[in-house]
Amino acid sequence: MTRKQRRLTLIGVAGCVLAIALGLVLYAMNDTIVFFNSPADIQAKNVQPGTRIRLGGLVKDGSVQRGADQRITFEVMDAEAVIKVNYTGLLPDLFREGQGVVAEGVLESPTVFRADSVLAKHDENYMPREVADTLKKQGHWQGEANAAPKTQ
Amino acid sequence: MLVEAGHFALALALGLSLIQFVVPLWGARANDPVLMTVAPASALAVFACIAFSFLALTSAYLNSDFSVLNVVQNSHSAKPLVYKISGVWGNHEGSMLLWVLILALFGGVVALARNSIPMRLQANTLAVQAAVTIAFLLFILTTSNPFTRVVPAPLEGQDLNPLLQDPGLAIHPPLLYIGYVGFSISFAFACAALIDGRIDAVWARIVRPWTLGAWAFLTLGIAMGSYWAYYELGWGGWWFWDPVENASLMPWLAGTALMHSTVVMEKRDALKVWTILLAILTFSLSLLGTFLVRSGVLTSVHSFAVDPERGTFILGILILFIGGSLSLFAWRAPMLRQGGLFAPVSREGALVLNNLFLATACATVFIGTLYPLALEVLTGEKISVGAPFFNFTFLPLIVPLLLLLPLGQTLAWKRGNFLGTAQRLYAVFGLSLLVTVALFAFAYGGPVAAPLGVGLGVYLVLGSLNELVTRSWSKGTPLAVAWRKAKGLPRSTWGTAIAHAGVGLSVIGIAATAWGVEGLGSLKPGERLKAGDYEVRLERVIPRIEANYREDVAVLTVFDSGREIGTLETMKRLYVTRGMPTTEAGILTTGLGQVYASLGEMQADGSIGVRLYYKPLVLLIWIGALVMAAGGALSLTDRRLRIGAPARTKAAPPAAVPAE
Amino acid sequence: MVIWIILLAMTAAAVMAVLWPLSRHHAIERQADPDTQFYREQIAEIERDQARGVLLASEAEAAKAEAGRRLLRARGLQDDSVAAVGEPALRRRRAASTLALSLIPILALATYEIYGSPHLLSQPPGMQVQRQADRMELQQAVAQIEAHLAKNPQDGRGWEVIAPVYIRMGRIDDAVKAYEAAVRYQPPDADRFANYGEALVLAKDGLISAEAQAAFEQAVRLDRNAAKARFYLARAAVQDGQIDKAKAAYEELLALAPADAPWVGAVRQELAALGATQPEQAEGTAPQIGPEAIAGMVAGLANRLETQGGSAEEWARLIRSYAVLGQRDKATDAARRARAALAQDATALKTIDAMTQELKLTDAQP
Repeated sequence: MTRKQRRLTLIGVAGCVLAIALGLVLYAMNDTIVFFNSPADIQAKNVQPGTRIRLGGLVKDGSVQRGADQRITFEVMDAEAVIKVNYTGLLPDLFREGQGVVAEGVLESPTVFRADSVLAKHDENYMPREVADTLKKQGHWQGEANAAPKTQ
Repeated sequence: MLVEAGHFALALALGLSLIQFVVPLWGARANDPVLMTVAPASALAVFACIAFSFLALTSAYLNSDFSVLNVVQNSHSAKPLVYKISGVWGNHEGSMLLWVLILALFGGVVALARNSIPMRLQANTLAVQAAVTIAFLLFILTTSNPFTRVVPAPLEGQDLNPLLQDPGLAIHPPLLYIGYVGFSISFAFACAALIDGRIDAVWARIVRPWTLGAWAFLTLGIAMGSYWAYYELGWGGWWFWDPVENASLMPWLAGTALMHSTVVMEKRDALKVWTILLAILTFSLSLLGTFLVRSGVLTSVHSFAVDPERGTFILGILILFIGGSLSLFAWRAPMLRQGGLFAPVSREGALVLNNLFLATACATVFIGTLYPLALEVLTGEKISVGAPFFNFTFLPLIVPLLLLLPLGQTLAWKRGNFLGTAQRLYAVFGLSLLVTVALFAFAYGGPVAAPLGVGLGVYLVLGSLNELVTRSWSKGTPLAVAWRKAKGLPRSTWGTAIAHAGVGLSVIGIAATAWGVEGLGSLKPGERLKAGDYEVRLERVIPRIEANYREDVAVLTVFDSGREIGTLETMKRLYVTRGMPTTEAGILTTGLGQVYASLGEMQADGSIGVRLYYKPLVLLIWIGALVMAAGGALSLTDRRLRIGAPARTKAAPPAAVPAE
Repeated sequence: MVIWIILLAMTAAAVMAVLWPLSRHHAIERQADPDTQFYREQIAEIERDQARGVLLASEAEAAKAEAGRRLLRARGLQDDSVAAVGEPALRRRRAASTLALSLIPILALATYEIYGSPHLLSQPPGMQVQRQADRMELQQAVAQIEAHLAKNPQDGRGWEVIAPVYIRMGRIDDAVKAYEAAVRYQPPDADRFANYGEALVLAKDGLISAEAQAAFEQAVRLDRNAAKARFYLARAAVQDGQIDKAKAAYEELLALAPADAPWVGAVRQELAALGATQPEQAEGTAPQIGPEAIAGMVAGLANRLETQGGSAEEWARLIRSYAVLGQRDKATDAARRARAALAQDATALKTIDAMTQELKLTDAQP
């Protein structure tokens, strides 16, 4: 093999691998990415039932209902809309009424959502970032201002 | 007093680092050995200062000195001793201090390795290292000072985030940081070579142990973090493709590529420019990881504080070093003497392929991690790129790499013979195929991916062992002779084989998760819940009060196909000071598999939600990582790495070539 | 003083660490060229290894040959000779020494001056230890009492002991619960009710809720001279907008007070804030945040909510602030505007309603 051929082989193989990777990434971008929506977004964007999304908002006070076998329904709201969520499984430790939540799953109808995972992450002060951003935009949450610790 | 002295030591370290940056560079430029010797001396002094500073902070934690803001926010006098210590780095300020401590530690070790590094290279390397140290010391002193005081001191602290009160998390950050920061040395060596405009096989030989060491620690750190997520978050998953996890995976992938490319450079004096670039990219990805985790761009347990000022500062450091080093690269790299090209079918050809796949896989992770952030900045649209994306893009790139791995390991340097190599692996092919088919038959109707994946893992393990066997044994050799020969193989050969076998073990563990089963239910005492062949019975739920939390403990008896095999305890905890609930998973290990249970809420009717998993062979995932790190460590002890013997002896012609 | 000596010693040591290699130039000059030196040492090390039996003879030979080749190559590359001797080298060394002598102390001291807290060092070291010991004792005591109360939840005395400790530790909600238990299980006592009420006030950031008011009234019923309870009742009147009643209550309290009562100053201040003619200002009471400043902050919030809108919580905060300042008409007005601004949001309206109910702003009820 001449030097030139060797170089061409190397470039050819590298090109192939990169092209395949690029193809995979582009395909996956179309297919596997999940959009984040608040209840208001779902109405505004007219998200079609059957779409896989991440739904974020506040758990409405008094909306959590527990059925048999860990079947749970609750409502997620923002300043403008409310969506009912069905979920089967254990709720995270920090899931509470009136607190922020992110659920991933499939929109069944414009007002009903079937979640396969519910996240309320890590910290007691933690508001899922997407939820906090949305609520801030809607003027619903003031973050640190309200969370200021009580002093004597 | 100690606290203030520690604070001052940090300020002193800043001044010393500046000297360590300026004087050696000048010395190397003027070719003045006296100025160059300032580099090791000041590097050691910087280490002494930062170590003192770190000890001062640790002592403030141990004594619960609540006049230090950092201690107030992250400690509590009732906290167990271990977590008082780990609390030092269980927060933003302290963890950054640990970061520079390790940076300085590596600088100190380079300073002491006088005999194994040429003086000029050492001086330039320590100068670059000092530049990184300066940036991070400034960051700590101006935006994340752990020594800020409060007057008057509060009586009690606010306790450490309960999720971080765990032995796994006590050692996870130091391991990970040693890995991250270890790559700063490869980076500094690369920049030094660029500054000097000279690079050769000696360079590769000097850099390789550092890369190897950093890589081994990063492997351990990632494995530790993954195991922690597995048992602490209570979701039963061990890898979530979370941006924070990806932030550590990217430098690992790039570092793995770097480790392999330095071998080619060392043996064949080729791939020089690429190796330099990889060294720069690896550390850049470490910096990127630090930025992602520390800036609050991502919100998770790792981002201790969301503070735009800090984020901007780290972003500045990121741009300065990545931009600076890449500009240096663009300017100087064309001046480096290019290495030769080589035959595609050869060990070096295989290693190039390895680099290609690893770098591409790293790039897909990079895209998947940063695309959502970029999209949000540009359009405001929020998306989540999760496991499906990474499984779809990452796996197709990694699987061919793994398939080629035993072949590449068996190929000879310079000019390999593909068919001959494949012949040496016939037995391995056959056996793994047999295992795969047997597993298909045995678990008929189960997931298809599992037997294929396990077969791949078995192939990797056997392929690695085959390498050791064929090098020391051929038909007719007495076993005693073969054993002596095997023992005589270079340690780096053993290290390579062990590390590759570790990859195989992890692959088996990962593939076997597809066979996992789970069950979910609400149990009252005496009731049972099934997951596959496994079943648990809830015995009782008992409240318990500990020093800094109270918990409800569910005691479960575990049955395997009706036979009792043990009990496990899973709890729901409430940390009093922070009012924060956590779930502690209960785990019962049976062989290499685990029965895993986590608790949900107590229901109104007295029943309690329980999720039960059985995960076969799951331990292999982390055992594999441990084996990989052990292989790296074994290679590291190879004397020849240090003294640089090429060792082409007649005793074992192809055998004595240390290979990766 | 001691600390400054220590810091200076540390600085000196750091500077010495840099000056030391600069002073060793004679030793270094005697060495050969630094680049080739490395390979020479490497060859020496290989020989040592071979002697120890770590390397095979053949391996050692190969290694030595390789190092030798590199040595030759390094010599070839070395076009310009090493420059450790002569006048320029001396100048360089002097410059580097000056740099170390100036840069390290100046930078370190400047940085420490900006970010450090050297003034804290004037504290006698013993105090720290003492505080720590106190804290440990307190901690143990609290733990003991808590354990005791967990077993005997009806021990009112125990609750009463621990409640003020909770307040000191900042655990206000726990303090409220403790006082609640103390009031429940102990015979009625004016001080106890007053303390309970005070804890409730603290828990509400200064607002005297209906619950707190009931507690204070109970205290006054038990003892007409319960100063603390009467003080808070007067304040409650301020918050309810009954300024005259409040003034009367404060003045009555002053008349009742023994001359040396420590709270006289506080009462005078309150009266002054209400605009009563008060001959002398109390001495020795340091003004904390003046009423003007508070009024300014509230006005700022009001202004922002008017112009930019805001959340239900913010409106509620504004309403409560007015109520705490005793400006009931403004509170009522704010509630009305909040309702108008948040008309579309049922939950927000609920928040506002809850607040007006809590503050008894009857005219503001929808």
